[in-house]
Amino acid sequence: MPAPSHRRRFVLGLAVALLLGVGIGLALLTASRTAERRQLAAREALVTLAALTDLIERVETPSADTEAEETADGGGMGLGDELAGLDAGAAPGAAEPGTATRSAVARFAETHPELRFIRVVTFEGIRLEASTDPADTGAKQAPRRLDREEKDLYDLGQRLRAAVDENRETVAAGGAPVSDEISVQEQADGGFVLGAPLERAGTVAGLAQIRTAPNPVVRAPTPPWLPALLAWLAPVALLALLGLAIGERRAVLAGAALLLLLAGLAGYALAARSVREAERRDMTGELAAHVTAERETTGTLLAELGPADAKPLQPESWDRNVYRAPFGLVTAAGTPDAEKLGALIRADTGRLLRSVGALALLAAVLLAFVGFGGAATVGRNLVHHRVAYAYTLPAIIGMILLVFFPFFYGVMLAFTNQNIYNSSKPIVDLWVGVDNFVDILSNVSVVRSTPDGLVFNYNNFYWTLGFNVIWTITNVTIGVSLGLILALILNTKGLAFRALYRVILILPWAVPSYISALVFQGMFHQQFGVINQFRQIVGLDPVAWFDGPLTSFAAVLTTNGWLSFSFMMVVSLGALQSIPADLYEAAKVDGASRWQQFKAITLPSLRPALVPAIILSVIWTFNQFNVIFLVSAGQPAGATEILITQAYKLAFEQYRYGYAAAYSMVIFLILLAYGLFQNRASRATEAIGE
Amino acid sequence: MSRKRSEGARHWPLHLFLLLMVGVTLYPLLWVVTIAFSGGQSLAIANLPADAHFADRLRAVTPWPEHFSTSNFRSLFADQPFARWLANSAVVSAATTILGVFLASTAAYAFSRFRFPGRRAGLMSFLVSQMFPGVLMMIPLYIIIVQWLGLGSSYIGLVLVYTVTAIPFCVWMMKGYFDTIPRELEESALIDGASQAVIFFRIVLPLAKPAVAVTALFSFMTAWNEYIQAATFMNKETMYTAPVGLRFFVGGFSQQWGFFAAGSIIAAIPIMALFMFLQKYLVSGLTAGAVKG
Repeated sequence: MPAPSHRRRFVLGLAVALLLGVGIGLALLTASRTAERRQLAAREALVTLAALTDLIERVETPSADTEAEETADGGGMGLGDELAGLDAGAAPGAAEPGTATRSAVARFAETHPELRFIRVVTFEGIRLEASTDPADTGAKQAPRRLDREEKDLYDLGQRLRAAVDENRETVAAGGAPVSDEISVQEQADGGFVLGAPLERAGTVAGLAQIRTAPNPVVRAPTPPWLPALLAWLAPVALLALLGLAIGERRAVLAGAALLLLLAGLAGYALAARSVREAERRDMTGELAAHVTAERETTGTLLAELGPADAKPLQPESWDRNVYRAPFGLVTAAGTPDAEKLGALIRADTGRLLRSVGALALLAAVLLAFVGFGGAATVGRNLVHHRVAYAYTLPAIIGMILLVFFPFFYGVMLAFTNQNIYNSSKPIVDLWVGVDNFVDILSNVSVVRSTPDGLVFNYNNFYWTLGFNVIWTITNVTIGVSLGLILALILNTKGLAFRALYRVILILPWAVPSYISALVFQGMFHQQFGVINQFRQIVGLDPVAWFDGPLTSFAAVLTTNGWLSFSFMMVVSLGALQSIPADLYEAAKVDGASRWQQFKAITLPSLRPALVPAIILSVIWTFNQFNVIFLVSAGQPAGATEILITQAYKLAFEQYRYGYAAAYSMVIFLILLAYGLFQNRASRATEAIGE
Repeated sequence: MSRKRSEGARHWPLHLFLLLMVGVTLYPLLWVVTIAFSGGQSLAIANLPADAHFADRLRAVTPWPEHFSTSNFRSLFADQPFARWLANSAVVSAATTILGVFLASTAAYAFSRFRFPGRRAGLMSFLVSQMFPGVLMMIPLYIIIVQWLGLGSSYIGLVLVYTVTAIPFCVWMMKGYFDTIPRELEESALIDGASQAVIFFRIVLPLAKPAVAVTALFSFMTAWNEYIQAATFMNKETMYTAPVGLRFFVGGFSQQWGFFAAGSIIAAIPIMALFMFLQKYLVSGLTAGAVKG
């Protein structure tokens, strides 16, 4: 077999590594350009909506009548008052409110044929003030009261109002706005339904909603194929040429390949940067043009419909975020703000460089892997052992996708504050470092002393851990001693009905544990449970089992004792029966007492079976979910919660995924520590035993 | 003869203790049967009058129904969706068993017969995965299966979850059995020109029938008796499995103990029979696995 050619390997490695680097780079670039395009579409729609709300707020100046009405009605109106107000508004002679809004909406819709509908809701009177929705014609013609089915629309408005109020408070207190003041719903056809609050005299009085035209997913223009191809092939060709001069000197080849790799990626980065910059300028120009167009249309409408003294429109604030704060990218003159644009481009470049840097690292690893022959070895192994790999592949793929990947994802979650409300955001945005762990582990205030005595904080991690440990120790002790005693009794020679006893005593292990748990939950019922009936027969008062920590503990302990002794009994019995009888015969001949026989023969022979069974049952009991969850459910107030049920509740009742993942990680580490300790301890005892 | 009688007489304290334990063991089971055949939904065996006498109280703890009726069983199938839940459990458990046994037997065969790079790492990773706490796995699995793949309240989602939890145990168990099958048979088949696939499916699998049966029954039982993951992944009432449905009868504010008891009997009896048949294999498998591990 000829010696492998380093030169060929490095050329191949460089080709593969660059292909990976440039390929992923191109994919990322295309993805982010598509995302930017979508965002631009959303921002343009927001500008249109901002123009609409600006227009409505300016044309709908409160007339004298409505103003009087408002003062008369005051703030907190009941439904009856609102209806009365509606009647008064509709009374002949009074100028009907909303007329100006309706005509503004109608004209706006005429000048914006691309909008599917515009709807305006006024909170006062729960009215649909104006609508160009084809569904709102005939009997449903605006203005009218909102239907019961349109409660969502009203609720949306109220949510935006609450968000505006909340954000005003936080901003006044020096904070940053927290709640979205504009609702953005992307539709299946790519259009948007946007809702924004309508203000009157400084308070939110209504909601304006628009539905933009279907907007098929915008594809980014062609990626920079030529530079990418060049960045991939040029360094490879160069290395092939250089290789002729370098020969088979591996270190030099590796250095040259690495330099060429970096050069190739740098070349690609430059090309991508210029594409990105041009695109950013284009898009900003497009946005500015859109703002200018809207300013002209809406300006004309305002001049036509609005009062002469109307406040001028503020087109510079139309390009805004969901907190209705202007981005400031488009100036009042309708041109891009050079400084803001420059900052954006710099940020784009920074992001690009970071991702190319990460790609370079990845590609370098791949280059080394191929170049130094790792790939060749793996390839040879794959071919040589292909039958073995084919057999294991399905199981391994399943395990990787549904066990190991979820495990590492869970570990990542532990460092975030993900919950049900923000789970759609990328995980990087939710990163909180070790905050969850610090929060779980640093709170040590388990007990507080008050004038009424000691008060325990049952939700504290250390309380739960302590309870979990006590729960495990008591249960395993009870299970092992009861199981061992029963096994010794059942192993008695000549005992009648042995087989029958054995079958009956195994039953608790055979019953599904969730059924046993629910049965005991019923039997411990305060009023109707049989346990309290038994107590009353012997003249004791019934006990509310799940109202006190100790009685609750007694209940779960009884349940788990009932369903766990069988296992230990079966294991011990099996081990006892495998002890050869002649050992005892020999001991008898030597004159050993029964106790001596038990100590010298029975116990040592039990150990190999009993030790693993105890280890197993410690882990099972430590994680005995069903009994705690179904019998006591942690009552009272979480006092009898064990770690695993607590973690479950954090995740699936409080929906704090990140925090619950951190909690589970701590459980995992505790079990891991126990496993390692157990391993060493059992090895140590083995050594002593020998 | 006389020796036997005297021994039997000496055994009476043991019998006393054993009878006590038998009573403790059987009482909850008899209680379930009583409630199931009571024809009502109350969890009390008998209704106590306000001034209950000793005899009344004794009646209230005697596990025998006041009125014998099978109405709970009939209405479980006629009025409640219990048949549907049983069918869900059966479908999920059967699919888990088939998929689990197929994946585990092929992998176990490779681990037993071939020496290849990554063999030790693979076996160890199966073992280590058993240590991942269930809840830690459930959060990401829930996000992946329900939120990403949209497989909440579907058979596929639950089957996938059950299968991957069953695979490691099944692989270790089957590998142990394959190790005991002599290789000579396969080698002679190889010389006769049989292909690897033929050897596995026609020679090794039939020889390993007992292990396949035990593994299959074990996977089936685990899936059939599983409560918490089913409760988390199956949110739609029509997709409940039997355990989730049974808990539905008596959880929260629902107090339909008659339906629960009758349903428990139906769901548990076959699986308990299976278990009694299986337990001796289980004990040796568990302890052997633990000793080797």
